[in-house]
Amino acid sequence: MASTVSTQLDMGDIQGDILFAYGNDYVCTSYVFVNVEGADGRSWLGALVDRVTSARPWPKDPDGATIKRDTTLNLAFTAAGLAALGVAPELLATFSSEFLSGMASRAGELGDVGPSAPSNWDPGLGTGEAHVLATINAKRSDLLERELTAFREHAERCGVTIVNEQHAELLGGQREHFGFADGFGQPAIEGVSEHKSVGGGVPEPDGRWRPLAPGEFILGYEDEDSRVDDEQRLPSAPATPLGRCGTYMVYRKLHQDVALWRKTLRDAAHGYEGGERKLAAKIVGRWPNGAPLVTSPEDEDPDFDPTQAHSNDFRYLDDDPDGRRCPLGAHIRRSNPRDALGWEGLDDAGLLAFRHRIIRRGMPYGPPLAPNVTADDGDDRGLVFVCFNASLSRQFESVQQQWLNDGNPFALGDDRDFLLGDASGSGKMTIQGDPPFFLAPQQSFVTTKGGEYLFAPGMTALAALADATESGL
Amino acid sequence: MASRATTMSNAKPTAEAATVAARRPAARTRSRSARPPVAAPRPRTASGRDTPAATAAALADGGDKVLGTPSRNVDGKAIAITVFSTVKWPGRFFLPVVFFVGTHVPTPISRTLSKLSFIHFARWTLVREMPDNGQPSETLQYPHLYFESNFNGGWAEYIDAFSHILAGGMKFFWSTSYGFPQPLPTGPFKVYIERNETDASHFYSAYPQATTTMILSGLELEKKLKSFDEKSVGLGDEEFAAQWRDFLTDVQELV
Amino acid sequence: MSNTAGQAYAFLAMTPIVSGEEDGLRAYIEGFAQTRPFERLPRTHFARLVILPDWVNDPSQPKEDHLHSQYLIFSTTFDGPLDSYLDELCDRMAPECKEVWGRCIGAPRRTRGAPLKNYLLHNQIDIGFFVSAYPHASVEKVQSVLARRKQLTDFAVRTQGLDPSELRHAYKQEF
Repeated sequence: MASTVSTQLDMGDIQGDILFAYGNDYVCTSYVFVNVEGADGRSWLGALVDRVTSARPWPKDPDGATIKRDTTLNLAFTAAGLAALGVAPELLATFSSEFLSGMASRAGELGDVGPSAPSNWDPGLGTGEAHVLATINAKRSDLLERELTAFREHAERCGVTIVNEQHAELLGGQREHFGFADGFGQPAIEGVSEHKSVGGGVPEPDGRWRPLAPGEFILGYEDEDSRVDDEQRLPSAPATPLGRCGTYMVYRKLHQDVALWRKTLRDAAHGYEGGERKLAAKIVGRWPNGAPLVTSPEDEDPDFDPTQAHSNDFRYLDDDPDGRRCPLGAHIRRSNPRDALGWEGLDDAGLLAFRHRIIRRGMPYGPPLAPNVTADDGDDRGLVFVCFNASLSRQFESVQQQWLNDGNPFALGDDRDFLLGDASGSGKMTIQGDPPFFLAPQQSFVTTKGGEYLFAPGMTALAALADATESGL
Repeated sequence: MASRATTMSNAKPTAEAATVAARRPAARTRSRSARPPVAAPRPRTASGRDTPAATAAALADGGDKVLGTPSRNVDGKAIAITVFSTVKWPGRFFLPVVFFVGTHVPTPISRTLSKLSFIHFARWTLVREMPDNGQPSETLQYPHLYFESNFNGGWAEYIDAFSHILAGGMKFFWSTSYGFPQPLPTGPFKVYIERNETDASHFYSAYPQATTTMILSGLELEKKLKSFDEKSVGLGDEEFAAQWRDFLTDVQELV
Repeated sequence: MSNTAGQAYAFLAMTPIVSGEEDGLRAYIEGFAQTRPFERLPRTHFARLVILPDWVNDPSQPKEDHLHSQYLIFSTTFDGPLDSYLDELCDRMAPECKEVWGRCIGAPRRTRGAPLKNYLLHNQIDIGFFVSAYPHASVEKVQSVLARRKQLTDFAVRTQGLDPSELRHAYKQEF
């Protein structure tokens, strides 16, 4: 399929782990938030920029094997951080309003209320203290420690303080703490991951799929709107040199109450014919091993392999309009409705969904809860949720506010996502069937323990930020 | 690689448009003088279609205007949008025809509007003259199109849906308005609506926590419940349970 | 002209505001967010009060169009008929009507009853195209079906798994 993007993506100018995941070689990650107040932030930054990992393909050795670095480094900035680094107000004003307000001020819109409210967040997050986020991925924990030590020493030398640090680590089998395989279902992007188009792209009439324009995820490039624009204008972005090749980033620390999840399932499954495992699958929309309910409605397909080209190939409108396979309110159906927001006679059923896709990264944190335990052990565990998008409001926030925390777009009234829910817990979930099965309103399994809106600049922008002599910046 | 950025309207590019850092616009002031000020246009930047700078400026101006929905346009889950646009000469004759057709003929417009299940009520009308009340006399240079909607969901999502789904039909309402860009891409259309939108000072809903889909579900559910109620009188317990099961299966998408 | 859709009526009036009173009027109306006077008119589905400072002009217009006064837009969607609704408005929201239309040019000195109703009718703007998602449902009907829906949903969730006689008993009690 001919690419309609006239400009090739400049991988050397884009940070890594956005378009291409670093992969499961990197088993542990540290997310370190620093504050540069009172320090020479630009020179602290200057010493780091050369070590930031870009999106350039990994080099290969003579045998053709990929050589990946032991550790990677990426940087992102909050609005407070950009201001603290001395970015001029007129330049700052070209960033999006929700980024400038910060995630904590969007708590109402995002459902961060009650236990998830910013007043209950971990120290250093949501207060304006967090300026720069350094994400360090490593192949082994000793390598991570080595990098962290060097990072801390460098910060101390420059007078930069660490205000929040979160360590994360892969669980076995690419699972998250509720036991579900996670991390696939990513968007197919033109020029980057077109092989994922089937299932990961935009569903088109006649069963076709197409990848998304890169500008949905990286600024400075054509997005989906550009394609229908006579003048092919680009989406709004922070002004030169900061905007190009950058993107907005969402960081959220999500605490998971695994004991409550297990207990709820166990209790609810008494009345559910399909049993506990199936009930869990119905809530999520996939079986624990990742097999989609739409393609594996009765049993978990043991041969499911997410790396296979057609593993993600399914639609809702044709294959499952009534939610008998994958419930109408299931988590993955809410977070990416594919063609489910369309209706018969509407030519392009993916229309209302395709501009709200996000790239998900992040990693579980905390020790696993021992199997079969349904009493909370008090340990902090959950998911560091990270996503990238060109527009916080149109992409991440819309999904969170309109699709996860509300049922209206799916004609589900007040029902919220049963998996994530929000702290008010007033929504039930209907598992469609003959007869339907109801899950009673629940206290949240997931609580927000902190978060920030950030901007991940391109490599040139990073260098410009660090250059103290750059006037007007 | 130079970006193909251009100004957004048909106006000739000005020096303003060329600057990257947006100039703050003159605020659309709440007038204290007798003569109302002209509503200042939002600044157009060279960097793209949307104007985050304008939104930032609006934030500074109007306090809580984020994502185009100031709190006074909101009551619970209901959102109000009020839009005026200046109509070109041919619209004077064209729009009444559009209205008539829309009202009396089940065209794709009205059918599609009803499928946009997040609209409670919407109205369009042409204002040609102001009734005389003894005020300083008004001579309208143009007719003005009034559009109002009461809906649910995010403002941006609403306009998105409008843009995409009504790309055909919507043209008929606004094609004779000055400055109306095409409905797609959605960016300029959103900006056009936002420029032409006036915030309410008060917005009221009799059922603020209800969305249109809940109401429609409720209406249908009531009929079915009534019918179930009648059918199930005098049934034995086992039969009742079976009927109840069938009933739930039938209404599961309404609850 | 289609001011009606099913049993719903779309009323729209634009009245000129006395010069100098615009800010006071706006501030007064903004207080309605707390006092919610339209609750006294139970036939009202939606209502809005909007102050229009001037026409919105587009740069592509050959000439600009300006209003010589600011205008108050009163737009309401209610269960018809119009006449009795306006009677209710003038009666049950008498103090608010006085404060609101008392600041408008040409309003009767006594902003009560028939004179005010006639003033509003004089300034009525007919609607070209009016659509409703539920044209035949009155406010009362809407509120009642919403309550019923909630009641039924809660009942269905609560009684899941009950044996037939318990279910029957619970149903009889509930409905």
